[in-house]
Amino acid sequence: MDITRFKPAIVYTIYIASTPDKVWQALTSAEFSEKYFSGFAVEADLKIGGAFIARAPDGSVHIDGKVIECDPPKKLTVTWNVNWPELVEKLGPTLVTYEIEPAGQNVKLTMLQSHDRPISDDILSGGREGWPAILSNLKSVLETGSAMTIPMKPPQRMLAALKAMGIKTP
Amino acid sequence: MDEVFKALADPSRRSLLDRLHAKNGQPLNELCDGLAMTRQAVTKHLAILEEANLVTTIRHGREKLHYLNPVPIHQIGERWIRKFDRAKLVALGELKRRLEDES
Repeated sequence: MDITRFKPAIVYTIYIASTPDKVWQALTSAEFSEKYFSGFAVEADLKIGGAFIARAPDGSVHIDGKVIECDPPKKLTVTWNVNWPELVEKLGPTLVTYEIEPAGQNVKLTMLQSHDRPISDDILSGGREGWPAILSNLKSVLETGSAMTIPMKPPQRMLAALKAMGIKTP
Repeated sequence: MDEVFKALADPSRRSLLDRLHAKNGQPLNELCDGLAMTRQAVTKHLAILEEANLVTTIRHGREKLHYLNPVPIHQIGERWIRKFDRAKLVALGELKRRLEDES
């Protein structure tokens, strides 16, 4: 996959009082992700081409991806494909990159969501609303050990836009 | 958090955030287009916004792109707004927008 064709559509940065190793572990393990990502379990086979999935609390695969770049504990790029019928065929693959940098006593975590084609604001609203909650929760988990339960559901405008493109949503 | 409020206190900086809100991921040249500010002033304002973590920059090929980073504003929301029932506030905001659009 030629990742230079992808342009970031959403870029979010958060500062966390933690270490790069702990942030890396939180991003790549179910033990942490279940606490900050609505109960979703991240399962990552951390080598190029390895599987990267996020399993919903009911056991179904919600995010179905592969590891594209892996440089622990600095940079991880994965395909982040929501597992809805025909989504990848119609929207192309989604890339998510995490960049972890030390910032004094803290860690600067940057998340980039990239696409190989223009994506409408309606469809991007899912990521725009979801990521700040996920990242804030990740920070809470690492700094305090627990997170708030922020109820997250896909925005109506995103579901309507996907439906209009013939993508089946739950 | 002081930095966020300080950064937001300036109308020129808020207008730069508005421009990124309308179109995310712009290089400096594009952000300066049609603005009544000098390039130097825009650069200075962007540095303050980046310092407050309201803007994130990334290198993309040969360009430096600017992105609106709403994470600090989300954190402000979580601290003070959450307990006042966001759904009702969204409904009120929507009502205001519709009524004002009509006039």
